[in-house]
Amino acid sequence: MEIPYTVKPRPDTGLYNGKLGIWLFLASEVMLFGALFSSYVLLRVGAEPGTWSMGLMDIKVGAGNTMVLIASSMFIVLAWAELKQGNLAGYKKWKWATIACAVVFLCVKWSYEWPSKFKHYDVWLNSATVLHEKFEKGYHETASHSEDGDDEHGHGDAAGGDVEKYVEGIYTTRFFKESSEASKTAFKKAWDNGTLALSGHINAYEEARIDVRITGWKADAGVSEADADKALAKFSDADAAELRQNGGSLPEKTDYDSAKRAEYALGQAGFTVALSVVGYERVEAHPWVWRTKRVTEDIGGKPRVRSIELGLDHSHHHVITLDAGDIKRLSAYEPKHSTFFGIYYTITGLHAAHVFGGILIMLYNMLPIGLALWHKDREQYTNRIETFGLFWHFVDLVWIFLFPILYIL
Amino acid sequence: MSATSEAAKTAEATEEQHDEHHEHHEQSFWRTYIFSTDHKVIGMQYGFCGLAFLFFGLCLIATMRWSMAYEGQAVPFVGPLLEAMLGNNVAPGGVMSAELYNVFGAMHGTIMVFMGIVPAAFAAFGNYVVPLQIGAVDMAFPRVNMASFWAFFFGCVIMMVSFFIPGGAAQAGWTSYSPLASVIPTDGQTYWLIGMIMLITSSLLGAVNFIATIVNLRAPGMTWLRMPFFVWAQFITAFLLLLAFPPLEAAGILQLMDRVLETSFFLPTGLVVGGQDVDVSGGGSPLLWQHLFWFLAHPEVYVLVLPGMGIVAEIIANNTRKPLWGYKYLVGSIVVLGFLAFIVWAHHMYMTGMGTVISAFFQTTTLIISIPSIIILTCLFISLWGGSIRFNTPMLFALAFLPMFGIGGLTGLPLGFNFSDVALHDSYYVIAHFHYVVAPGTIFAIFAGVYYWFPKMTGRKMSERWGRVHFWASLIFMNLIFMPMFAQGMAGMSRRMSDGGATYSLANPDNADITVGALGDTIMGLNVSISAAAWAMLIAQLPFIINLFWSVKHGEKVESDNPWQATTLEWETPTPPPHGNFIKEIKVYRDPYEYSVPGAKEDFTPQAQPAK
Repeated sequence: MEIPYTVKPRPDTGLYNGKLGIWLFLASEVMLFGALFSSYVLLRVGAEPGTWSMGLMDIKVGAGNTMVLIASSMFIVLAWAELKQGNLAGYKKWKWATIACAVVFLCVKWSYEWPSKFKHYDVWLNSATVLHEKFEKGYHETASHSEDGDDEHGHGDAAGGDVEKYVEGIYTTRFFKESSEASKTAFKKAWDNGTLALSGHINAYEEARIDVRITGWKADAGVSEADADKALAKFSDADAAELRQNGGSLPEKTDYDSAKRAEYALGQAGFTVALSVVGYERVEAHPWVWRTKRVTEDIGGKPRVRSIELGLDHSHHHVITLDAGDIKRLSAYEPKHSTFFGIYYTITGLHAAHVFGGILIMLYNMLPIGLALWHKDREQYTNRIETFGLFWHFVDLVWIFLFPILYIL
Repeated sequence: MSATSEAAKTAEATEEQHDEHHEHHEQSFWRTYIFSTDHKVIGMQYGFCGLAFLFFGLCLIATMRWSMAYEGQAVPFVGPLLEAMLGNNVAPGGVMSAELYNVFGAMHGTIMVFMGIVPAAFAAFGNYVVPLQIGAVDMAFPRVNMASFWAFFFGCVIMMVSFFIPGGAAQAGWTSYSPLASVIPTDGQTYWLIGMIMLITSSLLGAVNFIATIVNLRAPGMTWLRMPFFVWAQFITAFLLLLAFPPLEAAGILQLMDRVLETSFFLPTGLVVGGQDVDVSGGGSPLLWQHLFWFLAHPEVYVLVLPGMGIVAEIIANNTRKPLWGYKYLVGSIVVLGFLAFIVWAHHMYMTGMGTVISAFFQTTTLIISIPSIIILTCLFISLWGGSIRFNTPMLFALAFLPMFGIGGLTGLPLGFNFSDVALHDSYYVIAHFHYVVAPGTIFAIFAGVYYWFPKMTGRKMSERWGRVHFWASLIFMNLIFMPMFAQGMAGMSRRMSDGGATYSLANPDNADITVGALGDTIMGLNVSISAAAWAMLIAQLPFIINLFWSVKHGEKVESDNPWQATTLEWETPTPPPHGNFIKEIKVYRDPYEYSVPGAKEDFTPQAQPAK
């Protein structure tokens, strides 16, 4: 059984099966990315003024990656052209160049672009007054410096006016690009309501030290005394039976993870356990992808993280301290940060998955198992590279649309 | 040459082919029947799974109908089973909880649409019949074809596993509207989304394969307008799947992001769930989900119906012994239908307040799309005129398709107008409408196709007597189920009520004073009769199931490769067709339905028969 037109094109359609197949596949891909681009448009058009981030991306890095992909698109054509001329060595040279470009693209994205965002935070506070005070602390010196000799901004009260102006500048660049009536109105509203976010890196934080106490043991929980004592022995050297009957403290001032682990394991063994925060320890670190709950989680009436020290954007040497009680929401620049970041990671992630898949296919074609086809049927192998090239151009094209809408517009 | 000796000869030839085949590469059981790349085996795999899921979906609804008719009472037979398998908080004492009703409801829709009808009507018959009808040796990409089936199978496994995870399967309806679907705390919806992504991948691979096969692998002489109408129907269906499914894949990915990474693509600002602010950024759009979902799900309706129309057209031409009336109108209509199917989706969303201008646009396109549908149905009706009709089982099902689909289609018009949809939206009227389209419509066409092509697949016919029992019982109970639902819907009964609308109607002893908005006793009483009809419907499928398996070994043997005396190419193959299908060079000389050609020796002239 031989399937016709796997290599030679069918005369009346002018296509061999593989080429027809890849075009159809690309048609469905157009619909897939088309739906995501449409979602982007709908979400952006529907976004409240002042919630859609613009110009947060590093355009230079994005543009560099765009050039890398365009180059790789060119290399795959050169590779195919070499094959058409029967030059396997020349093909391999350009093919490795294509693979190298694809790898560079992903490395830039996955080791630099994304991770740097996971360490950058926006923090929203509960109270407008506290927010203004924090802005004042964080930006006062910079603000007075930058406003030096500029008497255009003469309004506002002496204490806060300059800072407000300075923050408005940052706000306008980020959400509106340039100043307009709409940006002024939106900023005024956000400033007065306190819905602005403080953004920057978390340089340090105060993490809870926790005491774990046994408060009782349920004999009817279905766990034998021996098993319960065995469970206890993992957490304490003290007399297990004594602890079980009268309660008492396990080793004190432990960290959150150990405390939670003990609470869970002992709960399974029928104990009722109380956690209480006995102190805080200052940790100097730049944590990744913290969520609101990570900071504000209530442990016996006290938060897991008492305060964070935020090095504010545009003046990283100005560190402000935020109490957990003041924090309404906190998010790194991760997908859940906002619909902008959501769609950014979704589309670029799906695109990166296509690039990754492309690398796997290219590697397969370069391995002996893939090259066997070249030695069996040169034309079919050449066709295979041609169809892959079509896919690769498509992946490139998607990025060419992605780059302006996510980085520039 | 007598039919018998011809059959014997082809059987011999098959044998030879088979031997030759074995000499070249011995294939293990696994490669032949499980991981096969042969389009016929894959077709039967799809067919078997599809029919099994159709039956399973019927069982789910049969269980739900108990809850609607006798709310709060233990389900007989399956109640203890549910309690044992799913836990006593889900089905305490064998009584179906409202949550379980929601699970079954959502999964009934999902299973019937994506795991039942699409695989059975599109993938099974398409895979088995299309390459044969265009004279191809196989699909264009046999390995992609196998990958398509296994992606489907894997998706089905995920869906079935989700019944048994804590909290059960998806509960937000087959439409999975956000924010509800995004915020339900159990994991069923996440499984649903992953399963759907697998099913969509499978459809995409299948669609690419079908189109490439039809475009590039037609036998010499098989021009576009010599293709059987069934092939046209599959061709257009494949395009619908290819282009409409990816937006749902996008929507699925976005909802998965909402559920797993806590984004808020579909969650609006200020969302409160259970009295608590949800810790999300907000700024999303619930309407976005509906747009993306219905952008698939309306074309999906045509995906469900077009293959059915194709099957019915084949069987009607064959059993009226005359050409289809208006073949070119049929082809033209189905192409137009395919285009229009992409611009009608928002007629499912009149109630969302998306605006009168948009509603007016979609109302207009919706009514325009009824024109090609009516042309197709009319052509098929006219084809009956003056025919000497053979009333065998496939023909009975095909004939029943016409009025049943007609009822389904015409009752859709009031839903297409937004002023009348406002009253009927989300009521039992809608349920009755779309079930008339797909249940006695497409599912009858599937049955017709099974009875019709069974002899080609196995070399034996299914029992005619039990086929008729199956047909009449199904026809009667189908109508007893769905006809009363029109009345219930027009009386105002809402769908998705685990108690059959009892609480909602306020018609209970505690609320004796309330009369406005209450559903009458007659309307509520119909719940019981509909449920009884549904259970009878379930029992009426048993003759079919037994007939199907029994006939594989014991059915009446067919004495020729062309037992129905049909004209299309699938009957030119040995029975059953070997790997590679045709044992002689195939060439097409004529139109697909040359029945009763004046002057011809017999009343059918096969496409492959050369002109004198």
